[in-house]
Amino acid sequence: MKVKVVTKILEANDRIALENRKLFDAADVFVINLMSAPGAGKTSLLEKTLSAKSGLKIGVIEGDIAGSDDAERIEKFSVPVVQINTGGACHLDANMINEVISDLPLNALDIVFIENVGNLVCPAEFKVGEDMKVMLLSIAEGHDKPLKYPLMFQESSALILNKIDLAPYLDVDINKIKKDALSLNPGLKIFDVSCKTGEGISEWIEWLKGRHGR
Amino acid sequence: MHEVSIALNLLEIVSEQCRKNGYSRIESINLKIGRASGVMPDALLFAFEAIKIDSIAKGASLNIEEVPVSGLCNNCRNNFTVVEEYVLCCPVCKGTSFSITAGREMDIIDMEVS
Ligand SMILES: Nc1nc2c(ncn2[C@@H]2O[C@H](COP(=O)(O)OP(=O)(O)OP(=O)(O)O)[C@@H](O)[C@H]2O)c(=O)[nH]1
Ligand SMILES: [Mg+2]
Ligand SMILES: [Zn+2]
Ligand SMILES: [Zn+2]
Repeated sequence: MKVKVVTKILEANDRIALENRKLFDAADVFVINLMSAPGAGKTSLLEKTLSAKSGLKIGVIEGDIAGSDDAERIEKFSVPVVQINTGGACHLDANMINEVISDLPLNALDIVFIENVGNLVCPAEFKVGEDMKVMLLSIAEGHDKPLKYPLMFQESSALILNKIDLAPYLDVDINKIKKDALSLNPGLKIFDVSCKTGEGISEWIEWLKGRHGR
Repeated sequence: MHEVSIALNLLEIVSEQCRKNGYSRIESINLKIGRASGVMPDALLFAFEAIKIDSIAKGASLNIEEVPVSGLCNNCRNNFTVVEEYVLCCPVCKGTSFSITAGREMDIIDMEVS
């Protein structure tokens, strides 16, 4: 006998993501899902953000396939941080976040950053309960990335173009990255950033404050 | 890349459906998987074979209908379907401003049970 199912395979994930979102909302915490390819500079951006004296109370959830190096880097700033090891999985899902929410003092926080596993494809598919997605692209990755990974660019609210200090050494067309990213997503807010020199960090912090205040 | 977790989600949903309705066996499951869903059909089939053992779906075959990526060009309003693997732009005007109208599916359509 044939029976209709008509269900999204990720329906359970989306349901748990919604639960997470309610917990975050109840504590009035703004949650950012930070995504990029491996090594684009997610943890470096968090380090810069935490040292910026923004007045924002920030907590961090670190997602990595293995190890706790990133969480240790964040711990130096004496902010609440939780490490998740996905044990091989290439993305964080809503259930993994759900299991660690109670480890964070949500009521004492303004913003929670979730550093996703380095990967340009699937983190965009799995909602975790975030208010918005922010993606990093290091300019060393090349200017063909927006058109190769359109989904990630379309789903993000902001794009951090990182490692801008390397521009003199690379044959990369930064204007093409911006043009293609904006045509995929006209509302995308783009920041030129160097986590090495600190360029662009203050603009990013100001924007962050504005988003949280809403 | 994450086909095992997709396969586990799938098995959970179909098993639950069977439990609720009192079916004892799943013979086949029909899925629609979009080419921009990040799921590779072969890897999903492989993962499902591995996890279905000892479940109500142990004898089930998985049939995957792949859905090509379609978009609506914001520039010339052309509806297009993507043939190449990656680079996405409107084939008429080469514009890169578009909304994806199909190709992100990860849907269970129906199943054969007894
Ligand atoms: N030159 C330069 N190097 C940078 C910049 N930002 C980060 N890096 C370097 O890039 C490397 C990777 O940075 P991380 O911050 O660890 O990158 P990540 O995205 O957190 O990496 P994963 O968590 O492993 O995916 C480190 O060696 C950083 O020092 C930058 O703006 N300029
Ligand atoms: Mg990191
Ligand atoms: Zn994945
Ligand atoms: Zn067009």
